[in-house]
Amino acid sequence: MSENAGVPSLADLCARAVRAARTGEGVEAYAGGGRHVDVRVRAGRVESLTSAETRGVGVRTVIDGRVGYAYAADPSLDEVDALVDAARQSAAFAEPDEFNVLPAIEQAEPLSGLYRETQELVPAERKVSTALEFERAAVSAHPDVRKVRSASIADAVSRVAIASTSGGPVAYERTDCWASVSAIAERDGEMQMGFEFALARELDDLEWEPAARGAAERAARLLGGEQPKSERLPVVLDPGAATAFLSVLAGALSGEAVLKGRSPLASMVGQSVGSPALTLIDDGRLPGGTGSAPFDDEGVKTGRTLLVEAGVLRGFLHNTYTGARSGRPSTGNAGRSDHRSVPGVSPSNLSFEPGTLSAEEILRQAGRAVYVQDVTGLHSGASSITGEFSVGATGLVVEGGALGRPLREMTVASTLLEVLSGVREVGSDLRFFPMGGSIGAPTILVGEMTIAGT
Amino acid sequence: MIDAQVVQDTLNRALTTGARFAEVFVEDRSSTAIRLDDGKIEEVVAGGDRGAGIRVFHGETQAYAYTNRLDPGSLEEAALAAASAVRDGGDRVEMVDLRSGPSAAPELPASTDVSRTQKVEWLREADDAARAVDATVRQVMVVYGESRQHVMIANSMGDWTEEVRPRIRLFAQVVAVRDDVMQTGFEGPGALAGPEFLRRRPPSATGEVAARMAVAMLDGRPAPAARMPVVLAPGGGGILFHEACGHGLEADLVQHDASIFRGRLGETLASPLVTGVDDGTVPGEWGTNAFDDEATPTHRTVLFDGGTLVGLMYDRLRADGDGVPSTGNGRRQSYAHLPIPRMTNSAILAGDARPEDVVASTPHGLYAKALGGGQVNPSTGDFVFGVAEGYMIEQGKITGAVRGANLIGNGPQILAGIDAVADDFGVRHGICGKDGQGVPVSNGSPTLRIADMTIGGTDA
Repeated sequence: MSENAGVPSLADLCARAVRAARTGEGVEAYAGGGRHVDVRVRAGRVESLTSAETRGVGVRTVIDGRVGYAYAADPSLDEVDALVDAARQSAAFAEPDEFNVLPAIEQAEPLSGLYRETQELVPAERKVSTALEFERAAVSAHPDVRKVRSASIADAVSRVAIASTSGGPVAYERTDCWASVSAIAERDGEMQMGFEFALARELDDLEWEPAARGAAERAARLLGGEQPKSERLPVVLDPGAATAFLSVLAGALSGEAVLKGRSPLASMVGQSVGSPALTLIDDGRLPGGTGSAPFDDEGVKTGRTLLVEAGVLRGFLHNTYTGARSGRPSTGNAGRSDHRSVPGVSPSNLSFEPGTLSAEEILRQAGRAVYVQDVTGLHSGASSITGEFSVGATGLVVEGGALGRPLREMTVASTLLEVLSGVREVGSDLRFFPMGGSIGAPTILVGEMTIAGT
Repeated sequence: MIDAQVVQDTLNRALTTGARFAEVFVEDRSSTAIRLDDGKIEEVVAGGDRGAGIRVFHGETQAYAYTNRLDPGSLEEAALAAASAVRDGGDRVEMVDLRSGPSAAPELPASTDVSRTQKVEWLREADDAARAVDATVRQVMVVYGESRQHVMIANSMGDWTEEVRPRIRLFAQVVAVRDDVMQTGFEGPGALAGPEFLRRRPPSATGEVAARMAVAMLDGRPAPAARMPVVLAPGGGGILFHEACGHGLEADLVQHDASIFRGRLGETLASPLVTGVDDGTVPGEWGTNAFDDEATPTHRTVLFDGGTLVGLMYDRLRADGDGVPSTGNGRRQSYAHLPIPRMTNSAILAGDARPEDVVASTPHGLYAKALGGGQVNPSTGDFVFGVAEGYMIEQGKITGAVRGANLIGNGPQILAGIDAVADDFGVRHGICGKDGQGVPVSNGSPTLRIADMTIGGTDA
């Protein structure tokens, strides 16, 4: 499935759409495409090997302030003309809004290292053998771990082009490679699962061995867990659990949520929203960041946005529309899942600035507390609108400055603002997770949250 | 969709390296989404997606290749990509013969043509109805979504099916605000049907239900953090069944020894009041198809019969592994995904108690009127689900609202703890996510009570 000489490039497809614009119409085209391989192994065998090549185009028209959108998979140049027509017809049904404008698209400085040609050349056999080694590493890391639910090595080469009646085409390409594993620990008929992953731009840089060991350790240490008593206690959030909370907060920091009355932070700019230990930054050009790109999904150059500075709310994330309506420039945070979606607002690399304490030092300071390893039910139990959350959790007791016996079948509940203001320590072990953008947090100690169990 | 000869050639190409099974899945989908937000029709999105996936089985290994190009050359390339992934020197070549033609799915009632003007009008009706509920209604978002998925599946066993699946959903989310308190409500009925479904489920009712939920929760106090009986309103028990045991009965997890239910067929694990089924054949229901995504006719599978575990949900690969027929639960989000065992329309069937008696016989507990989604860890059976609209029950009466409650429990224990099942029934619609794939599912149940469950509120 190689590049075919007769097939138009992504930039050609975008340019064709722009040429179909009539006088006074704004037309933007986003074309995305790529190749993807995913190898899943289990019990020493390849369970599945998936390979794919796909592409698609989405066209947005802005006509007298009305937005229309149409998309298609792998269109020909003639089909791009039809897409512009379809988007034009859709626009007729939308209501005008003076802030619907297409941004000026300028060439953005490329990000070095985003694309690795060497990754494109890795043969499938090597991905398969790495996946098998990866699983072996997970099942030999701990005596209680003899199997995985699945272990996977995957990679993608992605290309994006954007052009509009306000500029372009601009384009970039990237390579991504990832390993993920759910290890299963078993003892006396009880099973526990531990998840870990690693991300890199190419297979040679992928640190899958620590991920394999980590998944086994995370599964094994939960064996023999008991339900805790319901009470309010200090909570130590593992970087993954802290990131889960941050992903809910991210929803409240979206300029769109703010404008539409769906953010509890809407009126709090300049005010304290959390502990002075907290600084929160979105950086679309973070070197090595999985959310990094030279420009966002409507062609605006990415940048660095200070959202919370020492506990004080400084601003929100914007795309062109939410920025225009708020009287500010876009922060370069237009995001779309692919060519099928109208640009919304998404974090790029959003993270708490790390502190100075290691995770071990935080445990020593926590006193009697609960360490939360994983949270579940985030989509139904946490709301960026009300700011309330109650999520399922697994974890361990913290006593004597270290991790103790495991806990299961508990919930952790509070509100976003209570958690933010209750943060006592921010660790130095910042780690990013792919959660609707790339979102990162270190280990965090929160003063008190409600634990529900028996 | 694709010429019979091309389908046959593609399958034969996929078998050249000795695979025991080959399959072509071709999809052409058109979708329209219209979003009203902030009092305005914000955008109308019309789109098309198409692609083909070629799959082969070699032992228990699956190889899959997909592309959006449906020309014979691209299909051949994809077939070769799938075939080459399982090469082990096998030279068995079986020729596929598809001359008999595809089995077509039974035709659905003809969809009436509904204009875009009417669809936009429906959104406004929902918005108006939501805002009319109370002055505290601050924000309303309504999304109209329809799609038409045309699927053709052919395989080397000679199965060849073609089906058109129209789907429609109207989803409303409402934010109500009073002083510093902000609360949300939602409602989202869907069906395997055309837009005429919204004449039976008027958008104004959807907007009103969502708004009433948001407004009711403004009065809520913090939910307790404690164990107590929980009464679930109709439909809610279906979401519980889906999370508490449904996923654990999907055969991939069972075969991987990753389910708490492994090796327990024939055991009485649930309360004798519980009979639970998965039924992909319910006419017009949101999770229904004529065939699953592997050309197997959908089926009604009894999972629990009077509390005894009697069935699992299979796709083709896992059914082969257990030497049983597929139950028609092999589903995929699109051509870009491998099929896996998934629920369709799952339900706990009605019992004989009167719903009002179930509440009246509960001295102190929680009444969950509406649930959000949930999540389960299938290897431990521990699951959570969110209570979107909840009330305390005191002395057998539903009293004040409580908010911020997630429920947590362990699947087998909760099923065993169901101590009342009423004679009413309701269904909720949603998108279930597993292994990164979302598929439409419905969850049905009568009013039911769990004797003892952990409420994860903030009031310890």
